Amino acid sequence: MIGNFTHSLSAWLVNISIAMTALRTNLMRSILTTLGVMIGVFAVTLAVAVGSGAQVSVMQSINALGSNMALVFPQPDSEGGSRSNFDRGRLTMRDARAIEKQIDGITQIAPQLRTNIQLVVAGRNASTIAIGATPGYADVANVAADTGRFISEADVRSAARVVVLGPSVARKLFGGFDPIGETVRINRAPFTIVGVLESKGSSFGNDNDDLAIMPISTTRQRFAGDSLAGPDDLQMLFVGFEDGVSLSRAKRQLTALLRDRNRVRDNEINPFTIRTTEEFMKETGQVTSIFQIVLVAIASISLLVGGIGIMNIMLVSVTERTREIGLRMALGAKRSDIRNQFLVEAAVLCVIGGVMGLILAFASGFALTKYADFPVPIGLSVAIGAILFSAAVGLIFGGYPAIRASRLSPIEALRSE
Amino acid sequence: MALVEVRDLVKNFILGDEIVRAVDGVSLSIDKGEYVAIMGASGSGKSTFMNMIGCLDVPTSGEVRIDDIATSEMDSDALAELRNQKIGFVFQQFNLLARTTALDNVAVPLIYAGLNTADRRDKAKAKLEEMGLGDRLDHSPAKLSGGQQQRVAIARALVTEPLILLADEPTGALDTKTSEDIMQIFESLNDAGITIIVVTHEEDIAQHAHRNIHFRDGKVIEDKPVIDRRSTKDDR
Repeated sequence: MIGNFTHSLSAWLVNISIAMTALRTNLMRSILTTLGVMIGVFAVTLAVAVGSGAQVSVMQSINALGSNMALVFPQPDSEGGSRSNFDRGRLTMRDARAIEKQIDGITQIAPQLRTNIQLVVAGRNASTIAIGATPGYADVANVAADTGRFISEADVRSAARVVVLGPSVARKLFGGFDPIGETVRINRAPFTIVGVLESKGSSFGNDNDDLAIMPISTTRQRFAGDSLAGPDDLQMLFVGFEDGVSLSRAKRQLTALLRDRNRVRDNEINPFTIRTTEEFMKETGQVTSIFQIVLVAIASISLLVGGIGIMNIMLVSVTERTREIGLRMALGAKRSDIRNQFLVEAAVLCVIGGVMGLILAFASGFALTKYADFPVPIGLSVAIGAILFSAAVGLIFGGYPAIRASRLSPIEALRSE
Repeated sequence: MALVEVRDLVKNFILGDEIVRAVDGVSLSIDKGEYVAIMGASGSGKSTFMNMIGCLDVPTSGEVRIDDIATSEMDSDALAELRNQKIGFVFQQFNLLARTTALDNVAVPLIYAGLNTADRRDKAKAKLEEMGLGDRLDHSPAKLSGGQQQRVAIARALVTEPLILLADEPTGALDTKTSEDIMQIFESLNDAGITIIVVTHEEDIAQHAHRNIHFRDGKVIEDKPVIDRRSTKDDR
C-alpha cells in the first residue's frame, strides 16, 4: 500500500518534470496559453471578491446606521390592507414615549426631525442635512463626538442654537482648523459649534459624514414648523433594542401598539412604516448575492475562453509530440501513463496561470481597497478555490487531448514525422 | 525452446481501395541466444514483421508468441508491460528525447517499470557506463555524436534487462567506422546471452549475425545460417 503510494507519487513527480520540460521547450506558447487562464482566474477571483466586498460594504453601512434597531416613520405603509382614510401618516412624540414605556427590550429611542440646511461661515458655505435629535441618538445611531461634545438634554430643553458637525461638513467649512466654539450661520441664524462627530466613512459612495446634528427642539422651532401637521410630530423615530431581542417580534409589537394608538381599523393599512435593520440586511444580502452571481457568471466566460485555449494548445502539443508518444509506448508506457502525462501538463499550465491570476487579483484587490475605498476581501478559501478551480479547468480541457494521445497506436505514432 | 515463435503471420494494409499484404503467412521461430538479421528490400515486409514481433503492431491474423506467451489475447496495457520487460528497441534515428540528458533518456523505460527515482538513476548510470558513456551522463542528445547517441539508445534498450534486443536499421544513420563499433557492442551483448534481431538491408551488417532471414513481398524467401560469419574480432 505504502510502496504503491510512493510509486504513484514518484510517477506523478515524473509527469510534472516531463511537463515542465515540455512547457519550457515552447516557452512563448506556454506563456500565452497561461495568460488566458491567468486572466480567467483573475476575473473570477476578483468578481467573487468584489461581490463579497459589496456585501461587507452593505453590512458596514447598515452597522453605520446602528445595530439592532427599528426605524419608524410616518409614511402610510402600502403593504397589504385596503386604502385608508389617512392621506399622510402620523408619528408624534407621544407615540415615541408610549413605545419607550410599553415595549420590552428597548435601550433608547431617538426621535428626529430632518431638514436640509445651508451653513455659512466667513465666505464658505455648505449644504447638508440637519438631524434634529435628542442625546439618545448618539447611542442608537452609533455615533459619538470625536472632538467637543454631543448635544445634551439641556440643549434640547432650551432649544439651544448649538450644532454638532459631521467631519465632512467641518472640513468643508473650516479646512484643517478646529471648529469647536466657532459660530456658523445656519439659514441666517448664528449657531455655536459644540462638537465634531467621529468619521463613519462612506458606503457605496454615500458619505456617512455629510450631516449636522442639532437639538430636535431647535429644528422644530426654526426649520421644520411649517411642514409638520402638529407641534408634536416626528419625521423619524429610531428605536434601539438590546442585543438578542427578536426584531421581527419587536416589529409586530410596535405595529400593534401604533395601530391601536392611531385607531386603525382591521381592514385599513398602517399610517406609518416600520423597517428593521434585520430586514435591511436580509434584503441587501439578497441583492448583493445576485450581484455577485452575475459578476462571477460574466467572469467565468473569460475562464472558459482560457480553457479552450488550453485545449487548443494541448491538441497541438499532442500532434507535435506524436513520435515521442510512440517512443514512450514502445518503451513500455501504458495508455494511462500517456494520458496522465498530458493531463498533468495541462494542469500545470492551468495552475501556473491560476497562481498568477490570483497574485494579480490580490494586487488589484489591494489597490481597490486602498485607492477606491471599496473593500475587496480575498480570503484563504477563495485563494485555494481559485487554484483548485484552475486545476479542474486543466483536467477538463486537457482531458480530450490527453485521451486522444493515449489512444494512438504505438507503431503509427512512432512512424509519424 | 523458442523465444520468439511466429505462426501463419499475416498483416494487411488498406491503401485506398487496395489491400496490400505486407506480411503474407510467415511462420518461423527464433531461439534464445540467437543473433538474427532480417533482410530485404524496402517494402519487403521486414519492418512490419519486426513491429509485430516487437508487439508494436497487431497482426491481421496468425500468432506471435514471446517467451512462450501468446500475445494475440493481450490488451494494450499487457502488451506495454511485455515490451517494457522483455523487449529492448533500437531505432535507426535513435529516437532520444531532445533537451533531456543521456541519463534521463536511459531512465525512461524504468519509469514505466515503476522504479523510484534513486533506483532509476543507479541503473541508468550503470548501463551508460557499460556503454562507455560514464562521462556523458548529463549531456543532451544534441551534444553527442551519432555513435554516442546510438549507444545511449542501446543503454536505454537494455536498462530493463530484456530477453530480446530488436534493432531496426541500427547503423542506417551512422558512418562505417561507427557502425563497426555498434556491431561490436551487439556481438558482445549476444555473447552475454541476449537474443538479438536486427533488421537491415546492408549485407555487411547482416554478416555479423548467425542467421539471415530474407523477406520479399511479405514472404520469407530464404532462411539460412551465416557460414562465413564476420566478427569484429577478426579485424584485430
